[in-house]
Amino acid sequence: MENAIKVTGLRKVFDQHAAIEDISFSVKPGEIFGLLGPSGSGKTTTIKILTGELGQTAGDVYVLDINAPLFGTADFKSRIGILSDNSSLYERLTVYDNLKLFCKLYDAPLEQIEVMLDEVNLKEARSKVVSKLSKGMKQRVLLAKALIHKPELVFLDEPTSALDPGNAAHIHRGLQKLNEAGTTIFITTHDMEEATELCDRVAFLDKGKIQELGSPDELRYKYSTHAFHVETFDDERLVIENEAGNADKIRDLIANGEVKSIQSDNPTLGQIFLKVTGKELV
Amino acid sequence: MNTQRIGAIFEKDIKDFMKNMMLLMMPIVPIILALIYSRLGEGEELPIPMLYLIVGVTFSSVTASCMMTMMAEENEKKTLRGLMLSPASFMDIIIGKSLVVGLMTFIALAISLFFAGVKPFLSVQAIIGLILLFLFFLFLGIGIGLFTKSVASTSAYLMPVMFLFGFTPMIEFFGLGEDSIAITIADLFPIMQLIKMHDTNSWVPIGVVAIWTIGAALFTYICFKKERTDD
Repeated sequence: MENAIKVTGLRKVFDQHAAIEDISFSVKPGEIFGLLGPSGSGKTTTIKILTGELGQTAGDVYVLDINAPLFGTADFKSRIGILSDNSSLYERLTVYDNLKLFCKLYDAPLEQIEVMLDEVNLKEARSKVVSKLSKGMKQRVLLAKALIHKPELVFLDEPTSALDPGNAAHIHRGLQKLNEAGTTIFITTHDMEEATELCDRVAFLDKGKIQELGSPDELRYKYSTHAFHVETFDDERLVIENEAGNADKIRDLIANGEVKSIQSDNPTLGQIFLKVTGKELV
Repeated sequence: MNTQRIGAIFEKDIKDFMKNMMLLMMPIVPIILALIYSRLGEGEELPIPMLYLIVGVTFSSVTASCMMTMMAEENEKKTLRGLMLSPASFMDIIIGKSLVVGLMTFIALAISLFFAGVKPFLSVQAIIGLILLFLFFLFLGIGIGLFTKSVASTSAYLMPVMFLFGFTPMIEFFGLGEDSIAITIADLFPIMQLIKMHDTNSWVPIGVVAIWTIGAALFTYICFKKERTDD
């Protein structure tokens, strides 16, 4: 399989309003791909089309080499995992009973329940009724539910949005482990640190169009001014261009003991997003 | 269809049913009604329309009401989408749920008829009629549950279902003339057809109820097609 996801000329129109306008991208097997964009940019619409919840107006969509019209088949559904804003749990049932239901629906061994409870740090809450859990704990159960059948491809819509930093870090480690085992991950997030830490490649989506696409390192290099920011002990801030002629200038500053700090210009994904789209990612 | 998935949904729904006070109260309604009616006749057998009134209350308050509440809750809490995105087919989901509702209906109907009188229903024709009537109310419950977005709004749909299809024999107490258009229309309703069935050897009443059931099944199918995607 050459691509886990291949989207060509995708367009989605709701009541004469184009939510997605002619987007194309592909995701390689084993890749973590991040779709970043503000609310209303078309991220959720894209995920819904990729998971078969929504039909496209135009364009070709292939997921795991399966064409969009066949997304309703049990074979396709058993190969993907989804955590989206539409994901929910049975509030009157326990954590264990919720996971047991999906284990059976996906024909996964029941031992997977314990494995997943361990992965999401919820072993002690297995007998708790879901309605008694905090929002963060529910989010972790939803994640366990999405991964319980060891899918080849996982769609995660803001997976750590309700989690505290400790649990978010725990989930990040789990996702990296999952990815190392070969699972392809398609993720949407507002959290630039999360995208930088997890994603092999990211796409910036705004107004239904992909505005930029590449690895976080590539994008940072592309949008860097390639200058050095030097702060001296006299509290002077110098911007020195990365040019051969400036090498002596930097060397002299260091030799004279004037340099308090020196940094290369390395914009964050958030700064790049602002530069590309003119808006903050909130 | 997949029996393991049907079993998983049945197991989940029966656990959920047992923890839902609103649903647990529903099977009690026809039993209380049957108890009250059984005391009225002082040892005499209840007339057929009275018995079908109990049947109608059972199917509307247990079958249709429980099914539409369960479906509407799945819709409201967005858990139905989770099931539909899993390998379970719509048939697996519906059969799993219907088994729970069917079990509860059977228990409620058996106890109610134990008090009210089971004898008139001990014929092949009557049993087929009851099965078709159960399916009619089941499909209505599924369909309404699919298009209502909250449990609270199901009561707005349950009332017309109960009064039109559950309490149809009560129309006789309204004092309308036999030629009244309301009586003529009501005579075509499923329960009235089943009451008629006891006065004839004809299978026509069963055929009419079957048409109602097919109509309800089509209504469910249309609601499902609308719910399946966000388009």
